[in-house]
Amino acid sequence: MIGILHIGSFALYGVAGALLGVSLMRDMRRLTALASIVVAVGLVIHAAGLADFTATWDQLPLAGLGPALSTLAFLIGLGFLMAATLGHASTVGLVLVPIVTVLTAVAAVVGIAPGDSPTSYRAGWFFLHIFFAFVGIAGLAVAFAAGLMYLLQFRELKSKHFGAIFRFFPPLETLDRLGRRGLLIGFPFLTLALLLGWAWTVSFDVPPGNLKLTWVVLIWVVFLTALLARLGAGQKAERGALASVIGFIVVVVLYVVLRVQEVQQGVFL
Amino acid sequence: MPIVVLGTNHNTAPIDVRERFAMARTEAPAVLADLVDSGAAAEAVLVSTCNRTEIYLSLADLQRGDTAFREILADRVDVPMEALRGYLYLHRDKAAVRHLFKVTSGLDSMVLGEPQIQGQVKEAYQLAQETRGLGGQVVGSTLNRLFQAALRVGGRVRSETEIGVGAASISGAAVELAKKIFGSLRGRNALVIGAGEMSELTLELLRSEGVRNCVVANRTYERARELAGKWGGKAVSWADLEKSLPGTDIVICSTAAPHPVLSLERFRTAHPKAASHPLCIIDIAIPRDVDPRVGDEPNVFLYNIDDLRQIVDDSLDRRRAEIPRAEEIVANSVAEFWSWYSSLAVVPTIRDLRSRGETVRKSELERTLRRLSHLPAEDQQAIDALTRSLLNKFLHTPTVRLREAAGNGHGTAVLDSVRYLFELDEEPKEAEQSEQAEE
Repeated sequence: MIGILHIGSFALYGVAGALLGVSLMRDMRRLTALASIVVAVGLVIHAAGLADFTATWDQLPLAGLGPALSTLAFLIGLGFLMAATLGHASTVGLVLVPIVTVLTAVAAVVGIAPGDSPTSYRAGWFFLHIFFAFVGIAGLAVAFAAGLMYLLQFRELKSKHFGAIFRFFPPLETLDRLGRRGLLIGFPFLTLALLLGWAWTVSFDVPPGNLKLTWVVLIWVVFLTALLARLGAGQKAERGALASVIGFIVVVVLYVVLRVQEVQQGVFL
Repeated sequence: MPIVVLGTNHNTAPIDVRERFAMARTEAPAVLADLVDSGAAAEAVLVSTCNRTEIYLSLADLQRGDTAFREILADRVDVPMEALRGYLYLHRDKAAVRHLFKVTSGLDSMVLGEPQIQGQVKEAYQLAQETRGLGGQVVGSTLNRLFQAALRVGGRVRSETEIGVGAASISGAAVELAKKIFGSLRGRNALVIGAGEMSELTLELLRSEGVRNCVVANRTYERARELAGKWGGKAVSWADLEKSLPGTDIVICSTAAPHPVLSLERFRTAHPKAASHPLCIIDIAIPRDVDPRVGDEPNVFLYNIDDLRQIVDDSLDRRRAEIPRAEEIVANSVAEFWSWYSSLAVVPTIRDLRSRGETVRKSELERTLRRLSHLPAEDQQAIDALTRSLLNKFLHTPTVRLREAAGNGHGTAVLDSVRYLFELDEEPKEAEQSEQAEE
């Protein structure tokens, strides 16, 4: 059932992504609203899948690669829905929905089953640590999407090219605000995740240099850089957008590198 | 009663004729009341904008209503009625309904899809609703329903198609560009350099978008003060132009100066390079008022008249591509309205049919009850109820069929048949004859 629900949500995210793509290419603005509704339905099914996982395995879907990626996809999907409804920027789905679709697909392919980490790792606050970290990453993903679109829209406006991006993407101010909010919401959660992670290493005598924690520290540094880039004078919005985009790419690339290294030692995430 | 629209618009008459036909809001009630009170029309609504003067009538006598309105127009332009022929158009029934639906949808506007017409038609309709002639309101059930439907169609076309999307004028394109940078313009600050017509048009639009502070700078300070006063802004002298630049979000330049008013050096002096807020400069002057190199400064977005024209052309192309979908909505709505309107035509026949049935029922009942006068009152009432019930059941299906026929376009043939079969156009004879025979 868990797998079926995940495939169902993946299919809906895929449909939403296709709708957004068509809406951009054909200049059909109304399709973006429809895509948001499709994503919302996908999220409901996704939530049912995650709830089913919790009921079946008697633990939250946070440990193990499949469940962890699925939860992250779900949180990023929620971030998109908030951006579309509260931020009036449903077109950020052009970036976020493909991310959600890919994460859900990978989760379904690797299997939605708990990881084989020691039981002692599965204390309540360990799950809280992962959950907070994921909320932080979801915030960074929203900031990345808004930042990427900001940079593209900025270039269109500067170069006086009034094509599909000019018409379809939200105003610079909206994208800047969305990116800022993504960081401001994500940063406190990630800081909490970092503190909980540090406490966890102390409590369970985890050997220093734990790659998972290294990765979270790196995300925290990326967050801080992106936030600091928004301070001061000059083109702070552009700097902030650039820092969010580069930071998110660095986080993803480093995750892949760390994961490859960690394969021999155990399961990362 | 036919529905008719008679009028003139930007397609049929040049501006010098249209402006003479145009009627002020204060004149409309008298015209409407005259038409209705004189019996030339049963209902009337007058739509008068800068691009059209049209009267929508529901009338019993087409010729009379047409002539009456033509006379009103002829009086206004002071030319013989014959000379008006080329400027006027007349649409009747379905064509009139289609015309109004196209008007409210912006399909008949000079600028395709422009939104103001919807509000103007609504205002005209409300004015007509408030107007009273000698016999009461000048708008009745037909035009009420027609205008409500037209306003709904206008809303649908705008929400379901992209006929009104994008800027369709230079000043609209300027606002669209500013909105692509700032999102909402509410609370933004604008500096207008030059006080010409284009500056004023753009300023008007910016104000309507919620721009808070408007500063006007012009070589002639008096003109700057005049324009600023009109739009609730502040005038500054030409020499103080630089002082107004910091803190400004949008700059509109439209002077007739033969050389750039805002050179790169002047701009750099006035606007710090490290400014953290974007600055949108719209230069609609020819020759240009702003040195093009200013556009290379960080956080500065500089656009000239050609850029704005490009946006307008793109928008109009996209609007034109939406015409078939908009026309489809209009066609479906016309069919829907016409189905309702046609069903009105059967109402008198249904009424006559029921009246004829009731007359026969009553006369037969009276005759029978005279013979059965010994029956108690309750029994007589039961017989009365029985005949009433029989009549209702008998007439139910013909009534439904008549309404259906009206809706599917077979109304006239069926109506004629019913009127012939039941002798609805003749005085009742049979009942009288049988009554006389009995006596």
